[in-house]
Amino acid sequence: MPASIVAQMAISGALMGLVYALIAYGFQLTYATSKSINFGQGELVMVSAFFSLTLLDLGLSYWLVLPAGLLFGAALGLVVERAGVRLALEQKSEGWILLTIILGLFFFSAAENIWGRDDRPFPTPIPSDSIHVLGVDVTPLELSVAVGVLAVMGLIELLKRRTLLGKAFEAVSVDRDAGELMGISAKRTVMLSYALSGAVAALAGILVSPITTVGPTMASALVLKAFSVAVVAGLDSGFGVVLVGMFLGALETLASFYVGSGWREAPGLVLLILALAVRPTGVFGKAAIRKV
Amino acid sequence: MWKRLFLVRGAELLLFASLAALPLAVASPYALGLLMLLAIYGILLIGLDVTVGYLGQVNLAQAAFLGLGAYAAAIVVTHTGLGLVGALLVAPTVCFVLGALLALPALRLEGPQFALATLSFTALATTALNELEWLTQGAQGFSLSRPPLLGHALGARAFYWMCVALLAMVWIAMRNLLSSQWGRAFEALRDSPIATDAMGVGTYRHKVAAFAFGSGLGGLAGALYAFNFQYLQPQSFVYELTVILLLGVVLGGRKSLWGAFVGASLVALLPNLLSNRTLFQAFSALGLAVALAAGARGLFRRTMRPFQAIAPVVATSALVVGGLVVENTEDWRKAIFALMLFSVVVGLPEGLMGFATRFLAQLLRIAPPPLPPPSPLDEVLPARLADGAVLLELRDLRRHFGGVKAVDGVSLAVRAGHVHGLIGPNGSGKSTLVNVISGLYTPTSGEALLRGSPLPHGSLVRVARAGVARTFQNLQLFTGLTALENVMVALTGVYRAPLPFVLLGLGRAEDRRARADALALLELVGLREQARTPAKDLTYGAQRFLEMARALARKPEVLILDEPAAGLAHPDVVKQVEVIRRIRERGVTIVLIEHHMDVVTQLCDVVTALDGGKLIAEGSPDEVKRHPKVIEAYLGNVGDAALPAPPAGARIS
Repeated sequence: MPASIVAQMAISGALMGLVYALIAYGFQLTYATSKSINFGQGELVMVSAFFSLTLLDLGLSYWLVLPAGLLFGAALGLVVERAGVRLALEQKSEGWILLTIILGLFFFSAAENIWGRDDRPFPTPIPSDSIHVLGVDVTPLELSVAVGVLAVMGLIELLKRRTLLGKAFEAVSVDRDAGELMGISAKRTVMLSYALSGAVAALAGILVSPITTVGPTMASALVLKAFSVAVVAGLDSGFGVVLVGMFLGALETLASFYVGSGWREAPGLVLLILALAVRPTGVFGKAAIRKV
Repeated sequence: MWKRLFLVRGAELLLFASLAALPLAVASPYALGLLMLLAIYGILLIGLDVTVGYLGQVNLAQAAFLGLGAYAAAIVVTHTGLGLVGALLVAPTVCFVLGALLALPALRLEGPQFALATLSFTALATTALNELEWLTQGAQGFSLSRPPLLGHALGARAFYWMCVALLAMVWIAMRNLLSSQWGRAFEALRDSPIATDAMGVGTYRHKVAAFAFGSGLGGLAGALYAFNFQYLQPQSFVYELTVILLLGVVLGGRKSLWGAFVGASLVALLPNLLSNRTLFQAFSALGLAVALAAGARGLFRRTMRPFQAIAPVVATSALVVGGLVVENTEDWRKAIFALMLFSVVVGLPEGLMGFATRFLAQLLRIAPPPLPPPSPLDEVLPARLADGAVLLELRDLRRHFGGVKAVDGVSLAVRAGHVHGLIGPNGSGKSTLVNVISGLYTPTSGEALLRGSPLPHGSLVRVARAGVARTFQNLQLFTGLTALENVMVALTGVYRAPLPFVLLGLGRAEDRRARADALALLELVGLREQARTPAKDLTYGAQRFLEMARALARKPEVLILDEPAAGLAHPDVVKQVEVIRRIRERGVTIVLIEHHMDVVTQLCDVVTALDGGKLIAEGSPDEVKRHPKVIEAYLGNVGDAALPAPPAGARIS
């Protein structure tokens, strides 16, 4: 087994891992402002991908479909916030876990009936012939995933740090009540975070569909690994997800090669349970002191 | 009393009698299959309700335990000679152990992280069932035949009766467990894990036990599932089933055996409901009518927010319209389920049975069971010897947070029978000191000794069991429990029956005793009349007194009261001084952290003053009050420097 093949597998796995990181980043965005995450995020990825595919089938150009898909994802994110999260947050209950699961179930069923149960290819103008970079083969398609993920995450982080809106976002993340006292509407900030999270999910769907094809179950495995990445990295650590995502992606390609393709999902799940046992706040998360 | 027993137990008897009699009336094998599923799901959901209802955690692993139990049973009957009874014992045991193993790491988590961990476990279990082909035959499925029960071949009907008998046994055992100290502990740790530990109950142990128990029931249901269908496939036990089960519990009503049963019926019967179009239309129209009525009532009485009233109406309208428009309702099964659940979770958060029991209790005027007379206080809190010997000793205790020296080398001695005051300005380290002694924080260095032997470090439970009880400045009551139950949870020295006895219902006598003892302590602090009031509905002052009664239930040698009078109105302060005197008369040594100087002066034998984490003065209340360092700590250094002149134009009040 030459080292170059191992490196090859690790790198294409790591590039795939960036998609997990992107979805996990969507969890972090909403967790920061509201301590809640959308358990139906996978369905957002899938429905947005289907929507974009429909636009492509209507003859729109890929570069027009991309922003339209992101907007659609943001709108779905807002629906989730309104229907599934806001009431539970007002009541300070954990009802949002159930409600976001329920909304996910609804989106799944709707997609199944509107677009059918079959997997469909997703056309893209980006070529998929492999090119040789630094001794390993990668496809421009895989590279486009990496570029898209890092660009969007970088952009959002920049917005959070440089704009007034972003500062408001950070303020509510640190202390919701203090933010409200300073005149920031926590409700709008939570809405913004869900819209961003939805857009991020849509982007993940559009980026990954040309590789995985589009179907109702396309995101169920993805989102499970994104959960692992988010918890292992810590739900409040910005770029930790990128590292953990790439690591997990590489790990599972190697696992599926050495142990068997059916065990592809296992490393992420084992990693998650182990990480929880050793460090419940995540590898990059902050430990809190218990106060009474 | 008799009316209650008659109605509650009578309804249960009626339920099981009709479950047992139904197959005699209905001959169709199809209907029998449905009933079988109902019994199996009933056991499964009762197990799930332990974590979801009592622990209050979203558990997404129950489908995995159903699957693991089913495979365990199938493997046992196929590859070993253990037979049906053996399989029915092995499957729950396997799931109990696996559940405990999963719970050990996962239950350190709360809320979403816990849900994610259980979700991952489900995915991992499916992967393992698929891939361990030598054991499970993988994706092609596992066929087995139903073994005979003790030599008698079981027909479908006999097997069904066995399922119903098991359901009844599980029902009774769980009712016994959940109405015992165990059930109260489960609920207590949902409301306040810290206080559960501080009352010596042990959060972690109970959490793991509850989860393992629920998982074990999942395993039992799995074994029955395997013998019912006689064919297993890993993909039957995936995420989708786990979600439907969870929603079944919520729909039926949490923290209720009836709720679990109603949820199970819905889960089992739903596919049939959907296949019959007229039935579905009637059902959805009924749902819309209920949503409209409940929403209008809620809006009119202002018990609901607009969203809570309107959203279920929108969802049920979608069901009605869908029923008219959609060609094949079964294709939309998940969406229909989602809409139904959405309406219930938003509009009826306590579930169908939660609502129904409240309604029926009002309608039939079922009185709660009467309370026993309180035990004599001498039995509950035997007088201790107040000989003035050193009881609690701190030796150079330190606790630093990074560079902050919150407690910086405190040594002091508390004598038996004394009320020892601890004063100091805000941030002087009083609360940190208490948190170190009571085990919430591990000391950076130094030692706390009780009767000369060191107190455990950094464990609330073990310190509580060593004989030190505390109250909390920021109330940490078990808000969902009544005042009486709050005290009963903490009560020590009463519960002796081991778990199997409790399951068999042999723990009731000591539960009665606990009730009487707890009532005596409530009487001591003047809360006997509010024994049945949920802690969250008590007034602020009453909640402070309840904290004291609960700590006393530990029968402590040392009672630490952390600012018990904070925020109290004057009449309550007077009452509290009286209560603390009464506690002291029992010989309980008290460490009192307090800001009200008059309270300190009235009660304390010795007062220690802290500032900046260090001890600055010690002595009788009057000595300490006049100590220059104490005056300086509270008022600043007024002796040496003259006060700066106020800036020009400043108003002087």
